Amino acid sequence: MQHHILESFEQQCTQDAPPACQCRCPIHVEAGSVASLVASGHVDEARKVLERHLPLAALTGRLCEGPCQEKCLRQDLGGSINLPVLETYVVTCGRPVKSFPLPGTSHRAALVGGGLSSLVTASELAKKGHKAVVYHLGPLGGYLRELSPQRLPPLVLQEAIESLRRLKAQFIEASSLTELAELLETFEAKDFKTLFIGLDDPALDPKALGLSVVDLESDPVTMGISRPNVFVVTQQRNNPHASAICGGKKASGSMARLFQNVSPGTAREKEAISETKLVVSLTGVEPAPQMHLADPLSPTPQEAAAEAGRCLSCSCLSCLPPCPFLRQRPGIYPKKLAREFYNNIITAFGNRSSNRFINSCAQCGLCGQLCPNGADLGQFVDLCRLDMVSTNHMPVSAHEYPLEDQVFSNSPAAAFLRHQPGTSESTYLLFPGCQLTASLPETTTDLYRYLSSHLAGGVGLWTGCCGAPGRWSGRLGLTGRTTEAMAKAWQQAGSPKVILACPSCRLTFSRQLPFVATIGLWEVLSGLELPPTAAPLPGPALLHDPCAARLDEAGQDGVRAVLTALGQEFFEPALTRRLTMCCGYGGLVDQAFPQMGELFVSERVKDAQHPFIAWCVMCRDRFNAFGHPALHPLELLFSPPEAMILTPEMPPGISKRRDNRLNFRHQMLSEFWHETVSEDPSMNLNIDIPGSVLEQFEEQRILVSDVTKVLEHAAQNGPTFVNQQTGHSLACLRPRQVTFWVDYEVRTDGTYLVHRAWCHRMTLPNVNGEGQESPASLEGFAKTGGRV
Amino acid sequence: MAYAFSKFGAEGWSCPKCQQPLQPVEVNVKYMGSSFFVELPGCPTCGTILVDEELAVGRMLEVEKLLEDK
Repeated sequence: MQHHILESFEQQCTQDAPPACQCRCPIHVEAGSVASLVASGHVDEARKVLERHLPLAALTGRLCEGPCQEKCLRQDLGGSINLPVLETYVVTCGRPVKSFPLPGTSHRAALVGGGLSSLVTASELAKKGHKAVVYHLGPLGGYLRELSPQRLPPLVLQEAIESLRRLKAQFIEASSLTELAELLETFEAKDFKTLFIGLDDPALDPKALGLSVVDLESDPVTMGISRPNVFVVTQQRNNPHASAICGGKKASGSMARLFQNVSPGTAREKEAISETKLVVSLTGVEPAPQMHLADPLSPTPQEAAAEAGRCLSCSCLSCLPPCPFLRQRPGIYPKKLAREFYNNIITAFGNRSSNRFINSCAQCGLCGQLCPNGADLGQFVDLCRLDMVSTNHMPVSAHEYPLEDQVFSNSPAAAFLRHQPGTSESTYLLFPGCQLTASLPETTTDLYRYLSSHLAGGVGLWTGCCGAPGRWSGRLGLTGRTTEAMAKAWQQAGSPKVILACPSCRLTFSRQLPFVATIGLWEVLSGLELPPTAAPLPGPALLHDPCAARLDEAGQDGVRAVLTALGQEFFEPALTRRLTMCCGYGGLVDQAFPQMGELFVSERVKDAQHPFIAWCVMCRDRFNAFGHPALHPLELLFSPPEAMILTPEMPPGISKRRDNRLNFRHQMLSEFWHETVSEDPSMNLNIDIPGSVLEQFEEQRILVSDVTKVLEHAAQNGPTFVNQQTGHSLACLRPRQVTFWVDYEVRTDGTYLVHRAWCHRMTLPNVNGEGQESPASLEGFAKTGGRV
Repeated sequence: MAYAFSKFGAEGWSCPKCQQPLQPVEVNVKYMGSSFFVELPGCPTCGTILVDEELAVGRMLEVEKLLEDK
């Protein structure tokens, strides 16, 4: 993956952009952090944050006029946060941070004026080891001496000056303005590389110093003027203290750059006052009035904490609340995750510890819908997965089962395409999708019978998998071959309009087969009369839109129209339509990380008071499997329950799903097309698998057909091991990139009773089937363990 | 030679072809381009190896996942 892709995504997610108050502050004090630390009683930590930005913090922390308050989002919700009070409190009560000046350099700067900007400039230069010589007229501090002793105790100013002396700053009292004016002309001859003039000192008169009007217009970024190596800070009317501090910091930065022969103005855009890029939602924020302070210059800890506690700690995080994937670790958000994923992908040596995390995103698109800038982490995850596959770093086990399921669904055993019986061409082709035939085969049969008798021009039937699993898992080769085969089959059928029953199929067709004319099933059904079997539930239900259909407004409207015509009472969940939530099947989360899949489904059902009506059969199955009753709306049309559903119906397991697909094909071809379907060439062993063992198969994703293959092999070649003590036999086979072991016994009647089965991917010598290749359509991942 | 896991828990099992009880056998195990030697129960004559359930769903699965993230 190229770095600019990451950069492009990072620009969309602005969660770590500085908030409005920080952007407005001339020296970018992290007001939110200060407030948060004060609110939690961590005053020393708050002082550390302040001192990162404020030179001579004990002095300057008492002088801030709080320009940030102009931009505070609390402004209309009780009043802006009183940051000047908090700063005063922090520098009064917080422990000073020990500073360690850098080793001395030979660079010297002359500073004219004894005001605040000169003191700040001297401090900044001295901390960097440069020699600062301050020339002043009269007492140091300038107009600071005019402030009340309550606002600025004289001792604080004196301490600040002493601290500068300890940093080896030198103070020279000039006898007259003429002497200072002369310095302006001769500073280079006196071995000073740069000159600073702090006109916020009222003792200085620009004219007397020989400064013209042009000289007073310093550059807003560097504070430089037209004279080389001279920097000027003037007295400002608005926020004079903050302006002096800011001017001193900018000028000292420019001088330090000059000392190192670096251009003073390059790459300093971030120092300017700017507008924030952070988007903050104020929905649900209650007004909270500013704290009344008995003495604003000396707030109590309780007053300071209460005022700080009003801070909204501005952040975006609008995508986080409904997504368990984004919430699973504290302190993360899409931008941070994208960088973590990128670092994982470019790892040359060591562990790729985020592989599982990358495969835990449902790619459902909800974050993109909630993000003010449309940052969709799922799209970034898609690129990550493509990269992992292309560089052979996608874990084999993550998506192995659904990929094999896709290949199986498109194999001749399960897939077929036929025109309506008695016709040789079709106006429509019903594509129910591999999961509908696996979960609700009888309902699918009813649907086909209904459509073929209600739509003119002939309705063909086309079964198979659209290729969504392959695309989700980043396997472009498999996706391409699936797409190519489907396009060919569709064209050979005369390019009819395809009726798509599954929202994931619809999304996949629109992306992979955009030239195929399609229509959603619910748009079709909403234009037809209801089938005679249709009946609503006796009570209300919640309508769940599948995540694949979040942008399919026509489909959403179609379902609602059918339910309304049916007289079904239904409610919309809080997050619906464009903002609907994923059930945990999307992006194959449930396959790669079942626990994360459970978090998704539990998030969706947690506040649900009624059964769900879900028009994606995988959502319907997952709700039921999680213990929340759910129906597919097709069930209401063709096989409605007689009573209110209160208990969930366990969906078919992985083996039953395959059987259902096989039987669906068998039954449809026999019943509708009167075709003779060839029998399964298996040995027809009589195999008994207890229910508890079948449950174990589900957890380990072991198919009954896999176990059957092992037992058939053992029946022909004998068991691998026998146990004289228990009478059990053990057989193993590696029919694909997985070795299966079956612990069984043969009863006297010849029945194979299966006790346990397990599997592993590692290869061992002398295993039956070692080296046997998996279907080539898995684009080699299964052949070579992912290293093609 | 690295031992990622060693296990010998195959009580009662024997090789039906060789009529031999199982003994610890050192075998070369491979996955994801890595290979290493481990001691597992196997037939001392024909070398057929047994991987029991505890090992397959336990330590072996852990090592598989570690290697997949390399």
